Amino acid sequence: MTENDVYAIALQNALDEIRNACPDIQHAFIFKETGEIVAGDAETPQKIIVRVLDAFNGIFNRAEAIGGVEAVTLKCGGGTVALHSFGEHHLVMVTSANADLNYINTLTRVLIPTVLKLLEKISPTPLKNIPTPSPPQTPKPTTILTPTPTPPVEEKEAFEEPAIQKPIEEELKTEIPSFEVPATQLIVENIGGLLVPSDTVRIDNETLTQWENLFEGKKVEYVEIETFDGKTTKCKVKPIKDSKYFGKGIVQIPEKMQLTLEIKKGELVRVRPIIE
Amino acid sequence: MTKKKKSLEETATSETLTQPIAIETATAEDLKTRLEEIKGYDGVIGYILRNATSATIDLKDPTKLIEYAILSSSALDAAEELSELFNLGDTRDILVEGKDTKILSLTIGENRISIFLEKNADIEKPLKKLHKF
Repeated sequence: MTENDVYAIALQNALDEIRNACPDIQHAFIFKETGEIVAGDAETPQKIIVRVLDAFNGIFNRAEAIGGVEAVTLKCGGGTVALHSFGEHHLVMVTSANADLNYINTLTRVLIPTVLKLLEKISPTPLKNIPTPSPPQTPKPTTILTPTPTPPVEEKEAFEEPAIQKPIEEELKTEIPSFEVPATQLIVENIGGLLVPSDTVRIDNETLTQWENLFEGKKVEYVEIETFDGKTTKCKVKPIKDSKYFGKGIVQIPEKMQLTLEIKKGELVRVRPIIE
Repeated sequence: MTKKKKSLEETATSETLTQPIAIETATAEDLKTRLEEIKGYDGVIGYILRNATSATIDLKDPTKLIEYAILSSSALDAAEELSELFNLGDTRDILVEGKDTKILSLTIGENRISIFLEKNADIEKPLKKLHKF
């Protein structure tokens, strides 16, 4: 799961919650400065979103004079279009004429920045930034190939390079097991079905494989789950069975464990592999 | 708005040329008077009043005149586009809030108005004043 996925899922959840709380919101989506649509509703066609971005682009491109755009509010007879900027993320909402704009604005101006701040804090999404232990490359004596006239002393050094590299190679090998795998942020999902073991969580097989690769193929059988309130638990882990959750950044946690950890579906938790 | 533009063109080609233009000018003059008054409100930096025949610009900091004019024009264009995209009917006004300043733009008849305000200035008072027709 990439950092973008975590952002997208968390923002999509936040957006869904806002829409649940305010049914007067007809359309809502979040896009980045780059034009990438991070989260949105299924009802707004992509074509319309592109045209909306285009319309706002005209304002963004000329807003330097007012210190950049923080918000845009368009009031029409049949409703309102509002854009709120939160750093590089921009939220667009279309509301009906009867909507309570104060309530909607308060909700979005609190909720979205909070989610974004939280994501920034917990962000260092892990696997993406981990230096995968690849086999050390054999040093290339590039200095020999360069046509610049090098004094004989340097040439000698270049030839000696492979010999110098050897101990480094060994050093790297011994360092591999000491890799500390940072926690991965995953979104809590319920486990459905009968006879669900209460001590086992389910994680995407891709994540498990990545962890196993980092631990030189050792099987990851246990993980530590940490909530953002600091509650932790160690439990067994198995791959997710339901294909609809593949690649979604989900951790399926039994209901009983959710109660113990005081978390619920849709919340983020940190998951760390444990090798015994 | 397009309808009104069209009707204005039609009137211009007709023989009774003087009367509608006189009405239009009177409205613009009235708006100008109102805008002059609005300019005295707390936090109001200036305004632009534009129609097919004339433009009045009054800004405390004239160095930003062109940038403000282009931005307010872009805002009004975006307003029309967005209103059409989402089927929202008549555009009332568009407020663009920046880090330092905000711009309130609206169209009254053939007149495109933009009021420039400090970030924390009240927009309701100028709006009320403008809509008193």
